[in-house]
Amino acid sequence: MSIWNKSYYESVKVKKRMSNTIIFIVLLAGSVLLLSPIWWMFATSVKDMQEIMAFPPTFWPNDWYWINYPETLKAAPFIRYTFNTLFLTMIAVFANTLANSFIAYGFAKIRFKGREVFFAILLATMMLPAFVTMIPHYVMFAKLGWLNTYLPLIIPQFFGGAFFIFLLRQFFRTIPNELTEAAKIDGASHFYIWARIILPLSKPAIATVAIFTFNGAWNDFIGPLLYLNDESLYTLQIGLQVFRGQVSTQWNYLMAGSLMVLLPVIILFFIFQRYFIEGMNLTAGSKG
Amino acid sequence: MKIKEAVLALVLMAVLFLAACSTDAGEETAGTNADEGNDSGDVIELDFWTFWGSETRKPVIDKIIEDFNNSQDEIRVKHTHLPWGDIWTKNLAAVAAGDPPDVIINDINTVKQRAVNNQVENITEYLDEGMESEFYPELWNAAVYEDDIYAVPFNTDTRIFFWNKDMFEAAGLDPEQPPATWAELEEYAELLDDEDGGRYHTIGFLPNYGISQDIWMMNATGQGFWDFETSEPTLESDKAVEALNWARDFESRYGLNVIQGFEADFGNQQANPFVAGKLAMAIHTPTGMYTQLRDYGEDINFGVAPFPEMEEGNGHTTWGGGFVAEVPYGAENPEASVEFIKYLTGPEAQEYWAVMNFDNVANVEGAEAAAQSDELSEKGQEVYQLAIDNMDNTILTPYPVEAPDMMSLINPELEKFRLGDQSAEQALENAQSAVEDLAGN
Amino acid sequence: MKKKKRGLTLEQKEGLQGYIFILPWLFGLVAFTAGPLLFSLAASFTNYNITSRMDFIGFDNYIRMFSSDSLFWISLGNTLYFVVFSVPLTTIGAVLISVLMNQKVPGMRVFRTIYYLPAVLSGVGVYLLWMQLLSPNTGLVNTILSWVGIQGPAWLFDPNWTKPAIIFMSLWKVGGSMLLYLASMQGVPQSLYEAAEIDGANPFRRFWHITLPMITPIIFFDVVTSTIGGFQVFQEAYVMTESGEGGPANSLVFFNLHMWNKAFVAFDMGYAMGMSWILFIIVFILTFINLKLAPRWVHYEGGK
Repeated sequence: MSIWNKSYYESVKVKKRMSNTIIFIVLLAGSVLLLSPIWWMFATSVKDMQEIMAFPPTFWPNDWYWINYPETLKAAPFIRYTFNTLFLTMIAVFANTLANSFIAYGFAKIRFKGREVFFAILLATMMLPAFVTMIPHYVMFAKLGWLNTYLPLIIPQFFGGAFFIFLLRQFFRTIPNELTEAAKIDGASHFYIWARIILPLSKPAIATVAIFTFNGAWNDFIGPLLYLNDESLYTLQIGLQVFRGQVSTQWNYLMAGSLMVLLPVIILFFIFQRYFIEGMNLTAGSKG
Repeated sequence: MKIKEAVLALVLMAVLFLAACSTDAGEETAGTNADEGNDSGDVIELDFWTFWGSETRKPVIDKIIEDFNNSQDEIRVKHTHLPWGDIWTKNLAAVAAGDPPDVIINDINTVKQRAVNNQVENITEYLDEGMESEFYPELWNAAVYEDDIYAVPFNTDTRIFFWNKDMFEAAGLDPEQPPATWAELEEYAELLDDEDGGRYHTIGFLPNYGISQDIWMMNATGQGFWDFETSEPTLESDKAVEALNWARDFESRYGLNVIQGFEADFGNQQANPFVAGKLAMAIHTPTGMYTQLRDYGEDINFGVAPFPEMEEGNGHTTWGGGFVAEVPYGAENPEASVEFIKYLTGPEAQEYWAVMNFDNVANVEGAEAAAQSDELSEKGQEVYQLAIDNMDNTILTPYPVEAPDMMSLINPELEKFRLGDQSAEQALENAQSAVEDLAGN
Repeated sequence: MKKKKRGLTLEQKEGLQGYIFILPWLFGLVAFTAGPLLFSLAASFTNYNITSRMDFIGFDNYIRMFSSDSLFWISLGNTLYFVVFSVPLTTIGAVLISVLMNQKVPGMRVFRTIYYLPAVLSGVGVYLLWMQLLSPNTGLVNTILSWVGIQGPAWLFDPNWTKPAIIFMSLWKVGGSMLLYLASMQGVPQSLYEAAEIDGANPFRRFWHITLPMITPIIFFDVVTSTIGGFQVFQEAYVMTESGEGGPANSLVFFNLHMWNKAFVAFDMGYAMGMSWILFIIVFILTFINLKLAPRWVHYEGGK
């Protein structure tokens, strides 16, 4: 019996190792495909314009102009822009994770009259293209005297957005009700349940919202462009546009700048991944 | 551990917030200073929006602004550069909110449309009598709507013919003799093709590189697609049909695969086939092509000539566009704004802009001075002079207010013809009636 | 009597708490979102031109749309084509990739980062980069196809292949949805897998009977939001067709592109707003159907 058992587990192990190897190879091949555009961006960023304009385009740069990177930074006050962008992004992440999880809890875990109707309205707010409401929004913020400040970019974030509320509602609804019911019987308020039970159990979901918000705010272009007039308030994405001209584009600087702007996002994602490690979530554990 | 993280985050946010606030405060004080100056010395501050943020164009426009600011002490101009394209969306929103900039650079083809929609100020009363004569008439007319002037032309472009002299020589053609007619163009192109089993090393000429079918139609008919007198589209004509068929027959020699591959290879605004030695003849803007040849194609030995004629005596008609300086509707100081626009479009500033950017300017005196400028190389002077001379052949196609988006109906019909889905007559008939419908509504 | 009344107040209390939780959103809705939304609805019955004109014209905009604007129908057809293919393909793609990404394979953190990267890249540069990749002769995509003996099409220049090219591009960006599925897979109790493994269930069955049901709430979310997003496809066509002309033979005139041209080229904002409400109705109906069908296949561990 024990011998049979052992060989069974051995064969499972071997099978697992084999399938893992196959997965590894598949993922590796996919990575090459996905990374090739990034390579193209990088190669362009270290070429000089002469080589960029050459035909056929070179896959491997003939000469490496690392100087493009410091040159890129000189073209605009990028340190200033980085601070501005970071400021806006941090507030956005803070506001969105807080507000959306709070609101989503109401939609997911409390029964109240008209919930389904409100939820339908929530979804409906996503369905009109943004540029139709862009001008009325602008006029509204102008009337409030908010133009040329960060207020139009910050304040609405504290009142939640349909996409994230819907997302978190879905996550919260996968959390077994026994957990919240038990707490309720113990006399816990909904606020307590939200803060102490739901949020800790939803770390991967909250991390997802944080990452998405970070990307969104970090890459936002049209918002800052519309509402800001002072160049000292500009963000990185607006700054990058100086390389795009009507007649010609400074491709090498544009790509160098884009890659540098991308770097913090990659680092952040790499760090945040600890929330996506299998079995991290304790739903099962706390249930038992 | 958790508390530590939270404290750290809070501190970081506080620092960022303070940093942001302190600059805000700094700007506010700067703002009040300016206001004070306004009260005491009556200095008018003007917001000037352009899309010239690149390292080649920004210093030039900044120098012009600086010269203007130094030339008098009533008006101070502040330059803000915004991304190409988005600048006009932002302007539109600002006009709608009643808080526009004082001067903006905008598309010359849509001035009439902005005039009719109250997006731009009527500046006729602030302009000097006879100012009209300082500018190329085709450009000036584009800025006029119902006898009122809404903008002043700043720069323009045209389409001229470039040929590679070394390739002409190698193909046994006279390197100093460009083709004068479409027939010659076709004949030369065949001699210049360098093909090897279906793969082209060099293509003689492609009618749809740099320009498209509509310009061949204009070259043939000598006019645009809209009659401003009768307010009707003028798409259908025998010459237009002939032009379309000619361009397609020309392309069919190469086949769709070659053409589409070529367009894709050179359609991403990077490599230019004429500069890369893949194309022996091309029609292009003087500014775009010459600056690329100057910067990236030193070894290309080229010549320039007007657009070839359909047949002898039919005319070298070609097409152009450009930009104007204008005062958005609701701007506070239109008179001061126009003062600055006058300087911007005056001969001195125009010559400086023309020479530094190798760009076609709208002011005749400025343009002619630029062509003689020592700052340009001999070749540069030659190209610039031809570009100026070519202004007589250049027509503009301002958007008609009755059918501003008519090209979105015309182009697909022409495209369908080009892909062989309908005849030229059919394409023009469809386009004509579609535009008539659009204008009728 | 008394008891019954108290019971009611408890329920009311519960309901009141619900409103407190959604109050921030309600406030934002009233303060920031509702105004512009309703304005656009009202303006769709006018000849609003953004800057000077706004006269009531009844249903004229809507009548024009359905009777005399050929591009309206073409753009609607193109958009439907895009949605019908891109929504299922990106959903299936994202689920498959996230299953692979949820394995214990060396270097997984790096792999995840790489697969997520395309979702972060933004801006015009990316689209121009794709034009290069999809170039028929020298582009990477056709080069790879030629290795397996396929002669690739002219992608962005052949009207039959422009939309597949755009769908292909949207597949490249599934890293964003991958993240959602990864997050939801963390909620699947490990004990379920262990039990199944001991029962001898193969990986496919484990996926089908454990993973898939557990992530249905997120699949539902993904389908609903990517349908809404799919109907608003715009940027790709706008950038890749030079000033938004709509590509060869109108093959890339999407609904929003046509709307954009009406709004910001013709300044016929009233008409564009009317178009946006037609789109709204279509998407709303589809979402409603989705919501109604959801109980049949979406499994919530937390019940209703």
